[in-house]
Amino acid sequence: MKAVITSIVVAIILALIFSLPALAQDSDAITITMTGVNDISISLDKTQWPLGNVASNTEYATSPAIEWCTLTVEGNCNVNIFIVGEDAEWIDNPGAYKWTLSNDGTNGENVYGLKFRISGDTARGYVPITKTEGEFWPYGDGSSLAPGDTKQFGLKLLTPTYFVGSRQMQTQITISAVAA
Amino acid sequence: MIGRIKLAGLIAAALLIFLPSFTSAQDFSFGVSPDEVRIDSLPPGEAAEFELTIHNKEELARNFTITTFQPPEEERREGRAESPDDSWISFSSQEIEVPANSAANVTVAVAIPRDQKWAGEDWEIWLGVDAESSDLLAVRLYVRLLVSTSGTKFNAGLVAGIVVGIILLGCGGYYYFRRKAKPE
Repeated sequence: MKAVITSIVVAIILALIFSLPALAQDSDAITITMTGVNDISISLDKTQWPLGNVASNTEYATSPAIEWCTLTVEGNCNVNIFIVGEDAEWIDNPGAYKWTLSNDGTNGENVYGLKFRISGDTARGYVPITKTEGEFWPYGDGSSLAPGDTKQFGLKLLTPTYFVGSRQMQTQITISAVAA
Repeated sequence: MIGRIKLAGLIAAALLIFLPSFTSAQDFSFGVSPDEVRIDSLPPGEAAEFELTIHNKEELARNFTITTFQPPEEERREGRAESPDDSWISFSSQEIEVPANSAANVTVAVAIPRDQKWAGEDWEIWLGVDAESSDLLAVRLYVRLLVSTSGTKFNAGLVAGIVVGIILLGCGGYYYFRRKAKPE
């Protein structure tokens, strides 16, 4: 009996000696690295486009068409920039009535389209603004925007083929940036 | 800044009434620093804190909101996975008013639950800072938050190996002591 107990104790001790280092958790210090000198910042020189009354199934463009607003990269890091839209809601009762934003710039009954075009971007022309964040400037090919860069752009709105009249609608387009 | 794009709808068959656009020269500018935060060796069960600074570069006070955002895979840094739970990240204040031409700090805390399944992971999540606005165009700035947890995951194979080792050593020891105890 004594041999059994001694054997088990010795076995456990030996097993623990060899396994504890492997089971032990890493004890590295927590490090927080912040690229503190980097400031991410963009600016827009225009944010409002009051259209007034609009008609159905009609396209409206900013004026000037593609140089309406200037985006400037003001921070000190290169950025990738996105653009995203949303449904237009009835101001008086947002939950009761809306225009759905289409995903291709086209329109339909209570469905409207939004597009943007960057001055000098002849390859893409007008690009639909959807409810999913899309590239503002095509950085996918590695061409993120650098501090001091500016891009002028304009918008187009295509109203629904049918909508309930005499209602004030509002929407928002968000332009976002992240360090490249 | 107080106006909104107002598209007053007409019945589809109504007269085409279009009031010309009135352009306005509203500027919109703010910044956030740092642009990227990297937390390394954060053990599950522990928390880390850092500060974000929001710079309001305008001539009027603005409210800012801070939220988390899960970036799509193609936007994440290489080798980074989606953060499993947004609620692990908290802010000293999710809304903050920053006076004109001033800056304000928000403390961000990252707390990983005490569970070994979260050990040895590399995640990326973005912190979005929005300036409150009712204008048509709004700006959001993202800060990349890269979190790496320390420690090793629970290793079932290693534990099984240890159990087998104990049994084998126990048996070996038993026979060794038994043979030793036997009279010559």
